[in-house]
Amino acid sequence: MIAIVGAGPAGLSAAVAAAKLGQQVILIDSSPRLGGQYWRHLPSNWGVGRPPYFAKAQELFDEVLSNPLITRFSNAHVWQAEKKAEQFNLYVVRNGVEEIVKAEKVILATGAYDRALPFPGWDLPGVMTAGAAQSMLKSHGVLVGKKFVIAGTGPFLLPVATGLAAAGAEVVGLYEANNPLRWILNLHGLILNPSKIREGIYFLKKLRSLGIKVHYGKEIQSAVSDGVLVDGKKIECDTVAIGSGFVPELSLAGILGAKLKVGADGTVVVDVDQNQQTSIPGLYAAGESTGIGGSSLAVLEGEIAGSTRKGKRLARWRAQVFATGLQRVYPVSNKWQSALTPQTILCRCEEVSLADIHGAIDELGAQDGRSAKLFTRAGMGLCQGRVCGRNVSEIVACHLSRDLTAEERINTAQRPLAAPISLGELGDGLEKNF
Amino acid sequence: MKRPEKSLAFTFNGVRIEAIEGQTIAAALLASEINVLRKTRLKNEPRSIFCGIGICWDCVVTVNGVTNQRSCLIEVVEGMVVSS
Amino acid sequence: MTSQNNFDAIVIGAGIVGATTSLALTKAGLRVLVLDRGPVAGGTTGAGEGNILVSDKEPGPELELALMSRDLWFELGDDVGDSFELEAKGGVVVSRGDDTALRDFAKRQQSAGVNAQLVDGNELRKLEPHLAPGMNSGAFYPQDSQCQPMLAAAQILKRVRERGGIVKTGTMVTKFVIVSNRVKGVETSEGIFNAPTIVNAAGTWAGEISKLAGSFLPIAPRKGFILVTAPMPQIINHKVYDSDYVANVASGEADLQTSTVVEGTRSGTILIGASRERVGFDGSMNIDVLRRLAAQATSLFPILRDVQLLRAYRGFRPYAPDHLPVIGEDSLIAGLWHSAGHEGAGIGLAPGSARLLTEQITGRSSFMDASPFSPRRFQGGSA
Repeated sequence: MIAIVGAGPAGLSAAVAAAKLGQQVILIDSSPRLGGQYWRHLPSNWGVGRPPYFAKAQELFDEVLSNPLITRFSNAHVWQAEKKAEQFNLYVVRNGVEEIVKAEKVILATGAYDRALPFPGWDLPGVMTAGAAQSMLKSHGVLVGKKFVIAGTGPFLLPVATGLAAAGAEVVGLYEANNPLRWILNLHGLILNPSKIREGIYFLKKLRSLGIKVHYGKEIQSAVSDGVLVDGKKIECDTVAIGSGFVPELSLAGILGAKLKVGADGTVVVDVDQNQQTSIPGLYAAGESTGIGGSSLAVLEGEIAGSTRKGKRLARWRAQVFATGLQRVYPVSNKWQSALTPQTILCRCEEVSLADIHGAIDELGAQDGRSAKLFTRAGMGLCQGRVCGRNVSEIVACHLSRDLTAEERINTAQRPLAAPISLGELGDGLEKNF
Repeated sequence: MKRPEKSLAFTFNGVRIEAIEGQTIAAALLASEINVLRKTRLKNEPRSIFCGIGICWDCVVTVNGVTNQRSCLIEVVEGMVVSS
Repeated sequence: MTSQNNFDAIVIGAGIVGATTSLALTKAGLRVLVLDRGPVAGGTTGAGEGNILVSDKEPGPELELALMSRDLWFELGDDVGDSFELEAKGGVVVSRGDDTALRDFAKRQQSAGVNAQLVDGNELRKLEPHLAPGMNSGAFYPQDSQCQPMLAAAQILKRVRERGGIVKTGTMVTKFVIVSNRVKGVETSEGIFNAPTIVNAAGTWAGEISKLAGSFLPIAPRKGFILVTAPMPQIINHKVYDSDYVANVASGEADLQTSTVVEGTRSGTILIGASRERVGFDGSMNIDVLRRLAAQATSLFPILRDVQLLRAYRGFRPYAPDHLPVIGEDSLIAGLWHSAGHEGAGIGLAPGSARLLTEQITGRSSFMDASPFSPRRFQGGSA
C-alpha cells in the first residue's frame, strides 16, 4: 500500500504512476476537489471548459477517478504520523472521525503556500495573498474586489494579475520588487526550458492587452482602507494581492523525522535523493515541499516518486535548473523590514507587533525566534506560525545583527501537529483501520 | 461562463446569504460583498480572508456553534448558521 | 584575570529556579552571574503550565515550602510588576466516584494550613458551569495560582540585570574549578568565571552538573505532555483536575499515568495535562497519551469535544527518587549548592526554594527546617 498526501500536481502524478505499476494507492487530500492549489477549478455545475494548461490536470483527474487501484480520501486531514516496524501510520481526520492509514510507502506532496511579508496595514480586510485572490476566482468564480493592486515578487504574480483582469477586475498596477534585468541570472534555465520563454512572452502580451502596468523595483510601503502607498504616492484600490514566493508545507515531513535542508534563498525544503526518497526509508516527497519549482516540475517529481522511474530524471534536472535560477531572479532581501513601524502586527493570530518582538529581545533577552515566540506568543496562535514564523525569526536575527542559522530556519518550519483535530475526535479513538 | 443559480442559503450573523453549490462560506460572503468576517480577539480589529486556502486561519467563524472554523475551506450547507 | 569575571555567586540555569534564586541572592547583596547553555526558560520552565499549587500536596515539608512559596510569588509580582500573568485562579478537585479519599485529603490539608473547602455538586457547578453531570463532590482551593512561567523567568532575570547581576545565555559550563574540595569557579564556552558560591539550578540536567563538579545527585527526567487548544472565550474558570491526579503526582510507578488537569489561560487557550512517564529523554510524540488526555478532558468537560487541539508539547520534569526537591549545600564539594529536582512543581516552589537556599548561603536562620531537602540524603554525610 502506498499512501500519498496531497492531490495537487505532484500527488496526482505520483498516484497515477504507482497505480500504473499495479500498486494499491490511497490518495489523501484536505480539499473536496482534486488539483491542489495549481489546478484549482470550478465545480462541474459551472459547466465551463478547461483552459489549455489544464490538459495534464484533466488527464490525471480522469485516471485517478477511474483507476480502481486508487482510493480517494477527500476532505481528509493528516494530523499525525509515525513509522513503526517498517510501516507508516498516518492518522487522518475525515468527516469528524479519526482513521488510521497504514502503508509501507508514503509520498508527501503537501505543496506550499504564499509567503506574505508584513507592512503597515497588511492586516486590513482587502489585503490578501495573491493565492487567495486567485483561489476565490478559480474555485468559486468570485472576484474579491473591483480595483486591485498586485505586489510582491515572483512570476506567480503574472497569472494572478492577468487572471483577475481577464475576469473583469481593474488591475491598477503590478508592483514587482525585483528588476527584470535579473533574468540574466537565469539565462541557462531559459535555454534549457524554452517553453518558459514562450510562457513569459505570453504573459507580457497578456499584460499589455489587458492594460496592466508593471512597476519594477517597487514595493508597497503601507496600506490604508482605500489604497496603498508606493514611493510616498497613494494609489487608490479596494484590494491588494500580495506574494513574495512560497513557503513549503513541511509539518508531516518534520513529524516523521525526515531530514530538512535550507535552500540558497533561505527556504526550508525536504532533502530527497534521486528517487525523491527522503532520509527516512520508504518516505518520499515530491513537488513544492522539495523546492519551489512549479507544476510541471511537480508532475515530474511525482511520477518519479510514484514509480521510481529513471527516465524522467533529465527532464526533472532541466526544470530544477530553471527553478533554482528563479530564486536568483526574484530574491527576497531583508529590505521589507524597513517598511515596518513599531505598531505593525507581525503575528496576525496573536496580534503581536514589531515593538513586542523588539521588547522580547531588548528587555527580556530573547536571542532567537523560539524565545521571542515564548515571550510574545508570536507564532503560537491558530496558524501555528505558518504565516509569521519565518518573518519573525528573520526580524529577530536582523535585530541582533546576525544571520539565521540553518537549524533555526528548520525549527521554524516544524510543528508537532500537522493539522488540528478536535478533542472529541481525538478522544474517541480510531474508528476503523485501513 | 455560465454562472449557476444560487441554490443554497445560510445565515451569517443573522442575515440570510445565498450561495452557489460548492462555494465555501468565505466565497459566498465575499460574493455578497461581506468583507469583514470577524473581529480579532485581543484588539477587536476587522479581519477578512487572507490566504484563502486554509493556512492562515484569519477567516475563522463559528459554524453551527463550533468555533474557529475556517470559512475558506468549509462549503456552504443549506441552513447553516454562521457567525463572526 | 579581571574583576569583571569575579562574582559572589554563580547560578547555573536560567529557568524559573535559577531566576528566582539569582534574584533572592541579588537582594541579599550578592553580585550574581547566571549561566545557561540555552536560552532563558529553555528547559522544563518553557514546557510547563505555570502551576503554583498547594492543592496537590500532602501535609509535610513540601507543602510547608509550597505555602510559603505561593505567598512569595505574589510578593514577587509586586516587586517585578504585573508582567507574567500571575493570577490566583483557584483550583477545583472533583471526585468521580467514592469521594472518601478526596475528603480525607482535604481535611488533612486544612489542618496543615491550606484553605481547602469541600463542595457539593451544586457548588461545583457554580464554580465550573460546564462540568459533566454526575460529579457531585469536590474541593475548592482558592490559594492555587498560575503564572506564565517563561515570562516570569524572563521578567525576574530582567530585574536581576537591573540590580547589577549578569545573565549569560548560550554559555555552557564545561568544567568546575575546584581546589581542595571547594569550588572556586567554572570554565565555560565564554571563559572562566570565579565565585566562592555556585548554585546548581540546572533542572533536569542537575545530575550532569553535579557529576561535572565531581559530586552526585540522582535527578532523572519524567516525561509529560500538555495539549493546547485553539483560543476560546473563557469557559473554564479554575484549574480543574480529578482526584487521581494527586495519587499520580506522588506515584513511583514508571509506566504511563494520566489524570486530567484542565484549565483556561489568559491567552484564551485551554491547557490539558498531565501525563507522567519515565522514559528518559525520549522526546517522541506518544499519540496514545494525547488520546487519553483528550478523552479524560472531554469526559470532565463535554463542551470541549468540539474544541480544536492546536499543538501538543512535551517536557521533562526533574525528579528525585523520593519526590522531594534537593535544596542545600553539597556534602562532598564545599561552596556548591543545589536547588533542583522540583519535578512538576518547580514553578510553584521556586521562590520558596530560592529563599530557603539564600538563607542557608548567607548564614541566616531559615523560615523552615531545610533538612528534609538536603542533598545529604543521597550523598551521605551528616546533616
